[in-house]
Amino acid sequence: MKLKHSLFTRRQFLNGLLGGWLGALLASFLYPVIKFVFPPTREPDQVILPFADFRDMEPNSVKTFLWGTKPGILKKKDDGSYLAFVGVCTHLDCNVSYLADQRKFFCACHDGWYDENGRNIGGPPPKPLRRLVLSIEGEDLIIKREGGERVED
Amino acid sequence: MKNILQSIYFYLDTRFKLSDLIQFAKKKKVPEHKHSFWYYFGGICLFLFILQVLTGILLLLYYTPSVDSAHESIQFIMSQVKFGWLMRSVHSWSANILIAAIFIHMFSSFFLKAYRSPRELTWITGFFLLLIFLAFGFSGYLLPWNELSFFATRIGSDIAGTLPLIGNHIKTFILGGTDVTGATISRFFWLHIGILPLLTVMILGIHVLLVQILGMSKPIGIPENKVKEVPFFPNFILKDSLGWMLILALIGVLCVFFPWEIGQKADPFAATPIGIKPEWYFTFMFSTLKIIPAHIFSIEGEMIAIFGFMIGGLLWMLVPFLDRNAAKERRSPVFSFIGWVVLLYIVVMTAVTYLLPGL
Ligand code: HEM
Ligand code: FES
Repeated sequence: MKLKHSLFTRRQFLNGLLGGWLGALLASFLYPVIKFVFPPTREPDQVILPFADFRDMEPNSVKTFLWGTKPGILKKKDDGSYLAFVGVCTHLDCNVSYLADQRKFFCACHDGWYDENGRNIGGPPPKPLRRLVLSIEGEDLIIKREGGERVED
Repeated sequence: MKNILQSIYFYLDTRFKLSDLIQFAKKKKVPEHKHSFWYYFGGICLFLFILQVLTGILLLLYYTPSVDSAHESIQFIMSQVKFGWLMRSVHSWSANILIAAIFIHMFSSFFLKAYRSPRELTWITGFFLLLIFLAFGFSGYLLPWNELSFFATRIGSDIAGTLPLIGNHIKTFILGGTDVTGATISRFFWLHIGILPLLTVMILGIHVLLVQILGMSKPIGIPENKVKEVPFFPNFILKDSLGWMLILALIGVLCVFFPWEIGQKADPFAATPIGIKPEWYFTFMFSTLKIIPAHIFSIEGEMIAIFGFMIGGLLWMLVPFLDRNAAKERRSPVFSFIGWVVLLYIVVMTAVTYLLPGL
């Protein structure tokens, strides 16, 4: 069967084929390059600290540790149990401090406030402080991301 | 759509005179005969060099040149950065294939006597490119700061150090001190990403410009009627790019199945592991130094070998001026024979390094 008339010429067909192939080739080169130039998140899967450094903390006090490239905050509650946070304000990434006498976390950048459990209670912060999961195994204090979530920077 | 493209082209054409360039490329002819296959290797070298520049620039995003972090940053690239393994493997594989392609390109232009007048300077700039790329390889090898490269660099620079009078100065200059240390990384990094690329761009520019001005040589003694001429554009360029695609596919396959190794971090105080060798393209010289008797006529054997290579290299560079027959378009079987001897020597000594490791 021969068509009387076709929608494109042989040349157009070949050009389209070649052009499409070149385009696909280019895309397959660019994809890894673009992926490569964006650095991987530095957020650690877990941090292991010697528990001995934290055992003797006063109740209602905090100590900081390194959570990847950010400050982590370990807080001892009145009942002797521990809480761990990422010590970074959920508004615009400033580092927060704990005011033990007021039992609040404070962010100096835009006057943001969190209660002693990290819930946002005043000022611009839209969300509570990020909680980390904490467990004690033998002499090690193991701090992990909550629910395995990974927060991209 | 077509109209927009046309007006963009018109805009650029009136400013860059593109049609003159295209006219030139269409008029330019490349001879085609039974040896033309070898003409592809210069273009392959060019392509691989561009690939090296692109992947090298990408690796610079994460590589840090220092004793404490060089090896760690390579580990980071290989295991954390997305497609990091690919970029590093392409850079390493393509570096090695580039050196092999340079050797093939050099020997094929030697046997075709393409160095003869008026292409002496093409040959000499080419020879400098060979030296530059050996230096690229030597300096790049150390950058991951692993055990193998650390000791290979020590041995390599020690060989330079045995030269009389200037040896120790050369060694201190290369290493940035008397030993391979953090200062050496800084220096090799400086060479690898600063000086050598700059030199390459200048010398390669002259090399390729000469090829454009002089056109391709025709082998001596092939009758005129056996030589066709094909247009450089599009015929030759299209075949060239086919070759590039094949090489790229080969590199892709190698990287996926044999990603480049990271090795053990170098420990300057650990015992040297057995079987330390330089990169394969230095092994023919390395094995010569091992095989040569300690003393020949009461002169130190090593010294004779080192001077031998230096004088040999010099003669090799000056071959366009030594081969008087080829310069007059006559066959020069003596030089072909010398070429085969040199090639055979390099191949045999390289094979010996790997087949007789206990040497
Ligand atoms: C990175 C290194 C090099 C690059 C990128 C390069 C590139 C090229 C290119 C694109 C051509 C034209 C195509 C061809 O004849 O294959 C060429 C020609 C030539 N090259 Fe190289 N080259 C390199 C190294 C060398 C070396 C090491 C030598 C010899 C010592 C050399 C000697 C020549 C000669 C004599 C020609 C002229 C061939 C003829 O006219 O028939 N090149 N080079
Ligand atoms: S950054 Fe903390 S309140 Fe704005």
